[in-house]
Amino acid sequence: MSELRFQRALHDSVQEVLEKMFFVEPLDEPPGETESQDGDMAVELSFEGAPSGALTLRVSSAAARQIAADFLGQEESGLSSAQVGEVVCELANMICGSVLSRSESTTTFRLAAPRLLPAEEGRISQQAADRRATHAVAIGSGTLSATLETRDPVWPQAEESAF
Amino acid sequence: MAYRVLIVDDSPAMRSFVRRVMELSGFDLSDCFEAGDGAEAMKLLASEWVDAILTDINMPGMDGEEFLRCLSADDLLRSIPAIVISTDATRNRMDRLTTLGARGYVTKPFLPEDLREVLERTLGDPNV
Repeated sequence: MSELRFQRALHDSVQEVLEKMFFVEPLDEPPGETESQDGDMAVELSFEGAPSGALTLRVSSAAARQIAADFLGQEESGLSSAQVGEVVCELANMICGSVLSRSESTTTFRLAAPRLLPAEEGRISQQAADRRATHAVAIGSGTLSATLETRDPVWPQAEESAF
Repeated sequence: MAYRVLIVDDSPAMRSFVRRVMELSGFDLSDCFEAGDGAEAMKLLASEWVDAILTDINMPGMDGEEFLRCLSADDLLRSIPAIVISTDATRNRMDRLTTLGARGYVTKPFLPEDLREVLERTLGDPNV
């Protein structure tokens, strides 16, 4: 998969997951570093396969609460921070799985459990551009940014893995 | 006919979502049970009969593949249709789970009607 298709896979996965499972219509937003605010969340999820890598999701407090409320069918005011964190982890899991399923790799990927990070740790790394894709969207009054990085060049012709 | 369904997923949020989606889709649900992994599900199935099982793959403790093996090895439980709900849509994975006994596969993300269709097809609804 080329660098462009890698970016497209992330874009389409973010849009599809948010629309189908969270019932929100995200609007594309230019990617970029924003200052972390209290309540912002970051989740990291690593995966093994061909390629191996990690997905990092950064979600503003407002966006996290909105998607958790939509996913659980509850009022935002009634949600605990644990519930919001759990939903953001599930969101990361679905986006990562969706991107990998579009990779045309013959590998069966192994996804680790998503891990909540302090928001300031969820920064975009300095991985080379051909090993990284980022997609940012606006959700209501908040933002969500997904970055997928691979340890190897993007989607080499994969061999069957032992997994 | 109303159905009894068991949802197996380590995420309480996902279990809650699946239950809500079944209700939203118009699927005729009479009772819904939940388990956090395969071992908890096997324990529950010792005392409760269900018409269908919806299971995740990646779970701590007994994962979905091991759970399917346990179901297949049980003379009684192997007759309960197990449907996998997973983010992994690769052909390899689907083939492997079918070999282990999965009767259906729903890939996340999915729409409420997608889940209903797979459930009704698996349970033999004559309208599907």
